[in-house]
Amino acid sequence: MIPILEIKNLNKFFGGLRALKDISFNINQGEIIGLIGPNGAGKTTLFNCVAGIEKPTDGRITFSIDDRAFSIGGRKPETVTALGIARTFQNIRLFDNLTVSDNVKIGRHCRTRSIFFGAVIRSKFQRTEEKMITESAEQFLEFVGLKGRGQEIASSMPYGDQRRLEIARALATEPRLLMLDEPAAGMNPQESRGLTKLIHRIRDEGITVLLIEHDMKVVMGVCERVVVINHGEWLAEGVPQDVQNNPKVIEAYLGTGAADAAQAG
Amino acid sequence: MDKPISPNLTRGAKIRIGLLILALVLPVLPLVSDYLLHIIILIFLYMILSLGLNIVPGFNGLLDLGYVGFYGIGAYTSGLLTYHFGLSYWVIIPLAFINGAIWGILLGAPTLRLTGDYFAIVTFGFSELVVLFLTNEIWLTRGPLGLPGIDVVSIDLTLFGGPKWEFVGEVPYYYLALCMVLVTVFVMYRIQDSRLGRAWFAIRDDEVAAVSCGINLLTYKVIAFAISAAFGAVGGSFFARWVTFLSPDMFKFWESFLILCMIVLGGMGNIWGVMIGAALLVSLSEVLREILPLFGLPAEVRFLAFGLIMVLMMRYRPAGMLPIPAVAAQMRAGRTKRKKEKPVAGLKS
Repeated sequence: MIPILEIKNLNKFFGGLRALKDISFNINQGEIIGLIGPNGAGKTTLFNCVAGIEKPTDGRITFSIDDRAFSIGGRKPETVTALGIARTFQNIRLFDNLTVSDNVKIGRHCRTRSIFFGAVIRSKFQRTEEKMITESAEQFLEFVGLKGRGQEIASSMPYGDQRRLEIARALATEPRLLMLDEPAAGMNPQESRGLTKLIHRIRDEGITVLLIEHDMKVVMGVCERVVVINHGEWLAEGVPQDVQNNPKVIEAYLGTGAADAAQAG
Repeated sequence: MDKPISPNLTRGAKIRIGLLILALVLPVLPLVSDYLLHIIILIFLYMILSLGLNIVPGFNGLLDLGYVGFYGIGAYTSGLLTYHFGLSYWVIIPLAFINGAIWGILLGAPTLRLTGDYFAIVTFGFSELVVLFLTNEIWLTRGPLGLPGIDVVSIDLTLFGGPKWEFVGEVPYYYLALCMVLVTVFVMYRIQDSRLGRAWFAIRDDEVAAVSCGINLLTYKVIAFAISAAFGAVGGSFFARWVTFLSPDMFKFWESFLILCMIVLGGMGNIWGVMIGAALLVSLSEVLREILPLFGLPAEVRFLAFGLIMVLMMRYRPAGMLPIPAVAAQMRAGRTKRKKEKPVAGLKS
């Protein structure tokens, strides 16, 4: 089976700094895959390269849907979104001053068409489309558990709800691959359990999920496979339990001594 | 269409209907002189202009200092088409709209990649360029001599065997301007509540998040700029046929600044606020023009008064008289907001 996302020899330089060194890995259709690594490992840079916000210096990123392959390295973010990759941000980036429902409606942007004349004349096409946008925005809000809160202002919501709203907005773009950048950051245990369930439900909808996460409970709870990077380099890959016991991974997180201790123990 | 007016109207709707009725009957009220009507037409004109400008700074969060350029283009489009070809004003309105939009696209497409202040400087340069063009291309615009004797607006029904009715005095222009304001407000409300408006608000709030939702920044900014320019040009086309004389120095930079002041004063991004801002500044300008000479001051001192008002506004109500949450939040947290606007830093994790 063709992997939905294939990253091959990806390199990214910031001036003289090599943030990503020859990273290669695949993401299979329908899996939940974790991307972990210590702070500064280059996880978010990798996300940005896939999402089109950063242009990779070198290497290939191939996104395949329905047996069609698109090379997306260096494409514009809006094109990448339209192809079917959505993302959330490490530090939440909602449209703070707009309502919850408008946030999700904006997510529908790339799947809808009306512009100026449609808006002014309110053609039949525009009205049907607008009705569909409103209905599907409500559905996505219900899906993440924010039903009936559409009229609140996004920035006035509690942190955990903002995270979920951001996921709803990403889902509204109808992605095939959803990239979550530290979705559990700042959540209490109860909220992260809810998040784990939500991620499973997203996958059950047929959406592949790639997530960066520091909360090992969440990673162990949802990921079927984990890719570890450190200093911009691929370090290990495999099922969470194996990766957790991999001496190289322990070393990266805790230092050499810890790895020795773990092996001795 | 014959829906009975529901008795339980909201307060806002009552105010709106009241204002509309007042606006409709105003010219026939006693004590309403031609001078007063003239000022109100001027207010209407500036309402159209500031509603048009509002799209760029208010809906998209981009500073536009060259709006008067499009106003001038619209005015000369209207003036020259009337002067040389005697076109009817009803044909000129859409032509001015399209011409404004074209120049908006021509200026916006290459320059809207620039961010913030750099874009503002380019627009400023553009408005100066328009004035220089109007002053120097004498073969087309008669330069500093101006364009006198532009026909007044008329409703010509002779084709259908009807009468030809020319607009004389202020009353017909009053109703024409009122209609144009109503249409502009209508269009603005509809845009505000549409996919296009939401895309603009997304750009205003957070550009990175907007592209991640699939919004092409450049395309939507160019659309905004074109529509804004088109309304500026329509305002200009009315101005030409109303005062029946054009000269390049009517479109100097300070006009842009004045319109910008109106929307800042009223509340950027708020349709009502912008209109109130226009009404206040135009009437204040007229009042000062009368009062200042009494104190032995030249009428130009009124610009000092505007400056003072703007300074006080920035100190006490930076988001305007009727602020919208988005602008108010930006003004409150200018620094944190700017931090957030930076592109996502590469090595966060």
